[in-house]
Amino acid sequence: MINLVRAELLKIRSTRMWLGMLALSLGFSLMGLAVYVALSGVEMDGDMAIPPVTDPQTVRAFYASASGGVLFMMILGIMGITGEYRHQTISGTFLVTPVRGRVLAAKLISYFLFGAGFGLATVLATVAVALPALAIKGGSTSLLDHDVPLILGGTVLAMALYALVGLGLGALIRNQIAAIIVAVGWVQLVEGIVTVALPQVGQWLPAGAVRAITFTTSMFGPGELDTLPAWGGVLLLVGYGLAFAAVATVTTVRRDIT
Amino acid sequence: MISVEGLTKHFGPVRAVDGLSFTARPGMVTGFLGPNGAGKTTTLRMLLGLVTPTSGRALVNGRPYAELDRPVTEVGAALEATGFHPGRSARDHLRIACTAAGLPERRVDTVLERTGLTTAADRRVIGYSLGMRQRLALATAILGEPRVLILDEPANGLDPAGVHWLRSLLRHLAEEGCTVLVSSHVLPEVEQTADHVVIVAHGRLVRDAPLAELVGAGGELRVRTEQAGELAVALENAGGRVRREDDRLWVTGLEPEDVGRAALDTRAVLTELGRERSALEKIFLELTMAEPDGPPAPPGTGPGPEETGPEKVGAPGKGGQS
Repeated sequence: MINLVRAELLKIRSTRMWLGMLALSLGFSLMGLAVYVALSGVEMDGDMAIPPVTDPQTVRAFYASASGGVLFMMILGIMGITGEYRHQTISGTFLVTPVRGRVLAAKLISYFLFGAGFGLATVLATVAVALPALAIKGGSTSLLDHDVPLILGGTVLAMALYALVGLGLGALIRNQIAAIIVAVGWVQLVEGIVTVALPQVGQWLPAGAVRAITFTTSMFGPGELDTLPAWGGVLLLVGYGLAFAAVATVTTVRRDIT
Repeated sequence: MISVEGLTKHFGPVRAVDGLSFTARPGMVTGFLGPNGAGKTTTLRMLLGLVTPTSGRALVNGRPYAELDRPVTEVGAALEATGFHPGRSARDHLRIACTAAGLPERRVDTVLERTGLTTAADRRVIGYSLGMRQRLALATAILGEPRVLILDEPANGLDPAGVHWLRSLLRHLAEEGCTVLVSSHVLPEVEQTADHVVIVAHGRLVRDAPLAELVGAGGELRVRTEQAGELAVALENAGGRVRREDDRLWVTGLEPEDVGRAALDTRAVLTELGRERSALEKIFLELTMAEPDGPPAPPGTGPGPEETGPEKVGAPGKGGQS
């Protein structure tokens, strides 16, 4: 199994796709952070769009912007499966390892590990910008207060689990373009709308789980959104990861590869 | 050793493979022939555990592929629809297979060298020609030094030098005692390499015989002479069976020297004397023409519309075109 995991990690590293996705993840996270940094404590029409950095909620929002990159790890997961079908490398993969469950297990482990590394890189970059920004604007520079360790750790975990969701989605849809469109549409449109319109439902979606883990409950819109406790978010996201992992396995193990 | 027993695969209403049985033995190159759509690729994919048979068995060394302990070291396969990620180099592709199979990484250099890809190894596959991709597929197949090779149309896209190289590689492997199963829809390729031929059409077995038996037997001679009537009688007297068409004769049961001798005796002037297609070619051509969407085969009429004899000099139109 260790050999298979090494082979899968080599598959990810041997094309340039992961670099592009990492760049997007970093860009997206840092862009979100830049908006918070620029607008926190700034008065607009006598109202503050985002509370000043002395507010713990704003500190949380700074660090939580790292979670903006989860979509890109999910896309990398989608490509991890759909790419094998698209380029017909799946035959070769199953010729080396005809017991398909082992291939799937290796993929799930590799993408979980890679997602964690991907998350770590995004989190570190976010911290590297957020920390000096907080220091300059007079906020808390402690990495231990305001649930910061939980937010950062949760983001890393969320990245790893979103990779599994991506694998499952890719195995289910198999067409690369279609799967990516579904993923982007889901994350950017459906979840956003449901979260605002039906927060009691939205809290059970993957985005709701991420919100719970990153303690970002009231940044947008009026009042607090319904949100699970942090541990609930972790469990929910693990549940999604495992469910999609199961989907990936079941849909791939018996299918004819023609 | 490859054995296929009563193998059947339905895709919906389509019987891609229908009760197929044959074996491929060690020390031989077995040609797996059939027109496009005959079920060759599906059969090979069932042998390799990629497609589940509807019924029947496809065994390698007596076991289903998925039950082999280290399949890559027992069976090497190059399938037509097996691709490579365009953004990955040949070396990385082979390293991945090596790593997953638990083979030592020096095998990568060995097979790159053996397939002549060493200098191109670190380039991304997107820049590879079809022939180079075929070489990479073969490199992957021999990575684990298997004793059984299953190759699907390996000569597609190879240049003449590549075909020559492939042929000698396959012969060499067979002489080493390997079992080699090569599919093809291109006849001359198989005629020059295979020891044994398995022909399929519409998913069913048509012939399973040593190549020598098919190539030697049933050969027809083509004769052209101004004294066709007299020569035909002489040839029949000599024990041949003759079919006549204007100044042309088709003779079976005789060798060219018999025809020459008969021509001398009857003082007939031969303007043409040659061998017609081998039996293998004939069987194959009939199958190809019997394709549902191919040109119809006029039953019992001499050479079909696909006559490709080299001396077809301005043959006056003998019907056929409408």
